[in-house]
Amino acid sequence: MALTADIARGFYKNRSAYKPLVQTARVETVRTPAAKHGPKPSYENSMNARHLTRTNASQKIQGCQKPRKDSRRHAWVAEIPDDSHRHHILATDCTEAKYLIRVPNSCHGLDGLLEDKIRSKMNRVGGITASYRNSYKHNICLDMLREGYHRSFSELSALIHKLNAFREAEGPGSDIWQQKTLEEQHEKLDKLQCFLTRAEAAQRAGLYEEVYNSQLSLACYFKGTEDKLLSDYFFETCLKTTAMISSDERQKEAEANANLGLAYEEKGQLNKAVEHYEAFYQLSVEKPWQDEDGCSHYAQACENLWRIYTLLADKMLECDKRREAIKTLIKAFEIAKEGGDRKMEGLAAYRVALAYHANGDPQTAIKYLQMYLKVSELLNDDFGLSKAYEAMSKALVSVGNINEAIRYLEMFVEVAKRLSEKRSLVDACKSLGVIYNTLGRYDLACEYISQAYDIAITLSDLPLLEIVQVHFGIAKAHSMMTAVCRNIEAGKRVNLDRLVIWKNNRIDMFNEPITDAVDETFEDDASETAMEKK
Amino acid sequence: MLSSSVYPLANPKGVKLLCELCKKTAHYMCTQCRVTYYCDLEHQKADWIGIHEKICQLLIPLRTSIPFFSSEKERWHSQQQIVQRQKHMIDLTRTVAQKLLFEGKPDEAIPGALQSLRFATSVYGTTSAELVPSYLLLAEASIGLGQLQDAEEYLSQAQWTVMKTSECITGVEYKLYRNLGLLYSARGNYEKALWYLADDIYHASEVFGTEDIHTAGGYFHMANVFFGQGKMDIADSMYTEVVDIWHKHLSELVEAEMEKPKWKRMNAALEDPDPGMEDYKESLDVAQQAEAVQVLNAINNIRDQGFVPKHGRIGKVAHALAMLYYVIMDYRKVIDYGSQALEESKLLLNNDKEIESIENLLEMAHSALGYPGGQGPSPTAWVTSC
Repeated sequence: MALTADIARGFYKNRSAYKPLVQTARVETVRTPAAKHGPKPSYENSMNARHLTRTNASQKIQGCQKPRKDSRRHAWVAEIPDDSHRHHILATDCTEAKYLIRVPNSCHGLDGLLEDKIRSKMNRVGGITASYRNSYKHNICLDMLREGYHRSFSELSALIHKLNAFREAEGPGSDIWQQKTLEEQHEKLDKLQCFLTRAEAAQRAGLYEEVYNSQLSLACYFKGTEDKLLSDYFFETCLKTTAMISSDERQKEAEANANLGLAYEEKGQLNKAVEHYEAFYQLSVEKPWQDEDGCSHYAQACENLWRIYTLLADKMLECDKRREAIKTLIKAFEIAKEGGDRKMEGLAAYRVALAYHANGDPQTAIKYLQMYLKVSELLNDDFGLSKAYEAMSKALVSVGNINEAIRYLEMFVEVAKRLSEKRSLVDACKSLGVIYNTLGRYDLACEYISQAYDIAITLSDLPLLEIVQVHFGIAKAHSMMTAVCRNIEAGKRVNLDRLVIWKNNRIDMFNEPITDAVDETFEDDASETAMEKK
Repeated sequence: MLSSSVYPLANPKGVKLLCELCKKTAHYMCTQCRVTYYCDLEHQKADWIGIHEKICQLLIPLRTSIPFFSSEKERWHSQQQIVQRQKHMIDLTRTVAQKLLFEGKPDEAIPGALQSLRFATSVYGTTSAELVPSYLLLAEASIGLGQLQDAEEYLSQAQWTVMKTSECITGVEYKLYRNLGLLYSARGNYEKALWYLADDIYHASEVFGTEDIHTAGGYFHMANVFFGQGKMDIADSMYTEVVDIWHKHLSELVEAEMEKPKWKRMNAALEDPDPGMEDYKESLDVAQQAEAVQVLNAINNIRDQGFVPKHGRIGKVAHALAMLYYVIMDYRKVIDYGSQALEESKLLLNNDKEIESIENLLEMAHSALGYPGGQGPSPTAWVTSC
């Protein structure tokens, strides 16, 4: 209560002379106003005097009790002055330790940002001692606010809050839990401060392109450091900013959409990515915009859309939604055609064809394949040609046009040889062999399949090799079937001997003049081969 | 305000009656509570205006001697009760003082602040962090009266306390920094003022979030500093932020208010007399109302004078003001500002939702003025009039 009494006296008596905290000079301050109090009956004066002496006594006691606190307070007040060297040494705050380490770094030519940072810290040293006690984030926030960048401050706080909430939601043990929090990553905080304030300054001046650029640099920076949440956030803010840019016919908006689309694509949210890519496409139609590499935005938009549509279609195929997949693929094809990149167009056509083929519509597939063929021929794209020939032959087979199929397959073989693409060659030869096999021209079938087999041996792909082996077996068996049957039907001793010899050493001598007989086991073999064929 | 003389010599032995404000020998007594004494009528008047009018009757149970209780339990209970009452008084006196400060009457705020400090010391002792808000009030009053030296002393004391008690009461630290900022800006040391105000915003947003009315005060003062420095663009952007924060908060309040049954049809009001009719008082206490009035009017004036280009943002201030006056039931002003806001919004913005909400507000205000006394349908008047 004594304390409040002191304070009250301060206000209601001699304000100028009053010091609210304990002072030894209190006696005078109390006495003077009492004397000023004007004419009063003498007995009151004497009362006052008695009273005053008592209070003085109590204050003196108080004065004795308090000096410890008082001196502490003064010691603390003495910390405010700008002389900071002492505190510099005393500073135990981790941020300061960081700072001390970072000074020599700047001598080795770190970027300007860092040096700016250090300079601002030098200012801080001249500022207020409390900054040594504060956390790094605290100081960054103070710096921003001090210069009036309050939006940057709220944005930064919101970001940190969001990240922490996300972290909490993920819980211990998750990936993000292992990482440091944003508050602890000083370099990122520096970058955020730098670009956010730059953006805000530009925003104040109404230079929204500059705002966009700052946000974009942040997004790119966080993309580089693989902070997905942050980079996505800034890509989104970029897009929001572009709504304010009016001077460039919405070029920036298109770019922002493209970036955001890419971000979503990487996250695997294809539907959202499609939205943004479509916006990008719509915006860049018939615009002459180009990026730094001279690639037109429109073409890029088409390419992106084509890619994302194809990816979407893949997803649909996985879920067995064929009709929708075909629709999406056709969209992709249309877009690819618009994009003007023939190769892309061809590939799109190829995908459509495959989808149609898988859906049991080889006629349409053939139409699209012809387009692909044309494109590939135009581009001299042997690889594309080989794929086209292969798919074409398959489609033709399912239509029943075997001769055409064989023609394409032969071309396929040629191209594959030219490419020295072994796998395709194996495929080509095998397919040819199989077709000849079904046509009953076993000799040719054998020939092709043995070719395939020879090449397959050089590839270390066991499953492929086994498949080829089986096919080879089937063709071989078929080619020998007639001779063996003839021998069996003849049923003479000579024939049987031959069969036995063949059975023993597997050498085909059936075409030599004959007088031989059959072995029982052969029939089993024949049935086995037949089964394999199935 | 009623008083009667007391003669110090006639006091029983050992009883010294002291002035409530200056602690000198008392010559007058407040006859309404009979527990408060003053050295002269001037002090009684000051105290009456400042705080005593509100707490007169509440002081009686605290100042009369406690009857003796025979059981330990009863004694403990009565002790607890007194502490509870004192705590309540701390809150009350602080709010009143704060309100007076926001209304720009620092001299009237001092009695309340003093009372709060007195109660706080008797509850928490002299070194507790609970004393800080009272110090801050005193400091703010001192700044208002231009006694910067004193203000600095109080703030130093408060800062020291805050620093010593590491887990300070939440939501106080920012006030300390705000006052330090105000102190330095009053001294013209804008650099340091910005420092402290920045710290204020930082702490306030740590506790309340960046877009809370508690934080808005920091922005407002900071904007004033930038305004004083002539950095109009920064000041303007901050004023906008302040207006946005208040606008958002008030919209929520007004929406909640309109949901209430007193605006609904009569029978609805009758069936359901008043479920939390006074709710809004909780969300916007007296001091906050005063702050809102001060802040928004200041911004409105600045915008009006056209130091900064208007850009149609005056509409938002006017809208916020209209909502504010709606909440504090000053319907004439609602109509003034509401029509101003409506005009602006129709001219410059094409935000239908905004226009609609303003129109809604105006309609409500007009209908409220139609009630007797122009105060809107108070629940009791409502029931009796029907």
